[in-house]
This record gives sequence, structure tokens and C-alpha cells, in this order.
Amino acid sequence: MSGILEFDNIVRAYVKAKPVLNGVSFSVAEGEVVGLLGRNGTGKTTLIQITMGLLFPQSGTVRVFGLSPATDPVAIKKRIGYVAEDQVLPGASSIAELVSFHKYLFPRWDDELERRILDRFRLSPKDKIMRLSKGQARAIALLCAVCHRPELLILDEPAAGLDPAARREFLEVAIQFLNREGATILFSSHYMNDVERIGGRAVILDEGKVRLDSSLDSLREDYCVALVPIEAAPNPETLTHITGCLRARSVSRDWHVLFHGNPDDVQKLLAQSVGINGIRCDRMTLEELFVELTGNEQAQVLS
Amino acid sequence: MNLLIHPGDELPIYRQIMRQITEALAVGRLRPGEKLPSHRDLAEELVIAPLTVKKAYDELELLRFIETQRGRGTFVCLKQPKIKMSAQREQIDAAARNLLSLAYLVGLDLDDVVATLKKAESELTHDVRGPVRKTSV
Repeated sequence: MSGILEFDNIVRAYVKAKPVLNGVSFSVAEGEVVGLLGRNGTGKTTLIQITMGLLFPQSGTVRVFGLSPATDPVAIKKRIGYVAEDQVLPGASSIAELVSFHKYLFPRWDDELERRILDRFRLSPKDKIMRLSKGQARAIALLCAVCHRPELLILDEPAAGLDPAARREFLEVAIQFLNREGATILFSSHYMNDVERIGGRAVILDEGKVRLDSSLDSLREDYCVALVPIEAAPNPETLTHITGCLRARSVSRDWHVLFHGNPDDVQKLLAQSVGINGIRCDRMTLEELFVELTGNEQAQVLS
Repeated sequence: MNLLIHPGDELPIYRQIMRQITEALAVGRLRPGEKLPSHRDLAEELVIAPLTVKKAYDELELLRFIETQRGRGTFVCLKQPKIKMSAQREQIDAAARNLLSLAYLVGLDLDDVVATLKKAESELTHDVRGPVRKTSV
């Protein structure tokens, strides 16, 4: 295996016996753009911090460019761009001062991309960091992460709290960067539309494990949800035993049954196992799939 | 290039691009021999991943709607493939039923619907022969 990024059976707990990450394995190949998804508290940031060498796993191994963040932190960080969830920038500096500091650390600086980002967000090098809006501050954090031409870009909820226009501008910069450098990107996000715009693949974390790992096109085309009345299958195992079934979740008086398979085939399988013809099966957007996969059951309302 | 992408739409993004390009071909907004933007430029314009645009272009190329000429770019094929009628026919029938039931709901009759279709037709052809042709090189 020659992934840019490799996680093998990562375990990390903050509270004993309650691991946040409980055996997470996947790898990211060169040129991939991977969205790391999951509900709050499922360990996305923990996994990213492990990649950056800010935290260490209690067991399992992580390799970045084939190196260990524990023993080769500098060699790795030279080749990574990183925007943290709560990136702190030095408020008293001007943009120019911050940029010159980064240029000094990273000699392969892309002056043209720097200028394009500043223009895009209508920023002047003289502006003081503390006077920037939240969106502008995120743009500067992104500028510092991409202008040294990293091979791997890691973004932890880069667009959280930004308005829709600022989020779109942020994505534009990421795409310009992809076009220029063809780099690999791992990013966590709760904005499913943004993930669909820029991502090629989604890795969904849930209950300490990788729950689903698939190309985004396949998620849109090869998965579907069926609505089965609870009376038709009082025991959910009738459904979860069907080939391709990922989950049956009760929502009011129906089971929402998530399948890996195309709607026509799933309809036939359901007709065989619960004896109802023409059960409704629909493909989903990423947002719907995320909810079907990780959402809580919704108890039946007593009438 | 006049495309609009909606991530929350029923189709994956690369299929939305494919559909909109074939639609543009069908109504003459895109002409045989015309040059398409590079997949990187279109990705920046639409703010979507370059690989997604490339996938749409690759699929359209497989279907022989467009062709890539090495070093020159991507062009609309001079000879366009015929879209299989059987697959499209069903969609057209379904769209017709939708249109009629919508029209009946608001109290229009069949003649009104036919008039609406004629108006839409003249608008489409006006678009093609009017401003679009002037701006194209």
C-alpha cells in the first residue's frame, strides 16, 4: 500500500473504556479529496489531530507519506497544509507580517495564489488580523495552509460558522489550489452540499468506527432507502438480514431501511422477504443518507 | 458555459453536467465543432471538484458527444450520436402527463397547453437564432 495517508486500527479514548476512535482504518491515495463525516463527538477532530502529531493513538498506527507523525514530525509538516477547527491567528500582526513569517518557514511559496486569495476576499496585506471578519480570518488561515504548495491539505471544519457566500468563496480557493497543485485533501465538514461539491469520496465515522467509505457518485447512485410499515416486519432482523441492508431505523410507524443496492433490486428483495409488492425505494442525497445512517430512532407517537 | 449545479439535486453532480451539456446540444445552445472550456476552468466556474468535471467529460466522450484533441482542447463532435429513443420516450411521456395534470389543476384545457408548448418552442428557437449566434465566434 502506498497511500499518502494511512490509518490502521486507530484507538483513542479520552475517558477509560469509552474510546472515541475504536479501530479506525482507511487510507487516502494521492490526488483524492476525502470528506471526513460524522456526528458531533465521533472523533473527526481527534483523528485529524492524530494525523498532525498533536495527539497520539493508544493503539494502531498512522502513516503520513509513509512516515510516523511521532518520530518524523518536521519532515511531515513541511509537506502538509493544515487549518484547525479553531485556528488562532496572531491578532496584533498585519496580514503581511503573518505571510512573511510563513514564507520564511516555507521557501516554496506561491506568490500568485497568495495575491489571488487576497483579491478574492478583498483583503490588503496591511490589514490587521484582529480587524478581520470571521470569514476573512478563515481565508487567511487557508492562505497560510495552501500557499506553501503542500502535497496534503488537512482542513478541520474549515467553513464552520461562515455565511453561505463566504463558504462558497472558501471552496473556490480550495478548487483553485487543487487545479494548480493536484494535491490530496482530507477535510471534515457538516455541510453536505460542500462535501458533494469538492469531495470525491466520503468516510463516515460512527460509534468509533468507519461506518461507510465510498465514492460520492456511488453513494448517490448505489444506495437507497425503503419505507416499510412496522406491522409488515415486527422484528427488524427480517430486514437487516436482507442482502445489502445497512440499517433499519424506526421512524414513527415505518422502518427506514438503508440498502446498498439499486431501488429496483431492493424492491424485489423486499417483496420476497416481507411479502409486500411495490415498497417505496428512493435514492438519497448525501445529507439524507447521513441522517439514515447515523440518526437516532424516532419513537412511535402513541395515538 | 451556462450550467447550473445543485449538489442537493436528485442526480450526482457529474450526471447534472452531462445532462445539461446534452440539453444544450439538443436546443442548439452548443453547436457541433464548438470548443468547451477545459475541465479545470469549468471546475473553477462551477466551484466543484475538477475530477467531477473530468468524469462528466470522459463519459460524454465515451458516448461520442464530445472529443478531446490532444493539445487543443475539448470540442463538440461534428457528427452527433442519436440518443436512443426508447429511453427518452418514457421520460417525454411522463413529462407530458405531468404537464397536463398541472394544467388541468389550474383549469387550463388541452388547447391552452398546446398554445403554451408553441410559445415555448418559439422562445427556444429565438434563443438559438438570436443573441446566442451573435456572441458566438
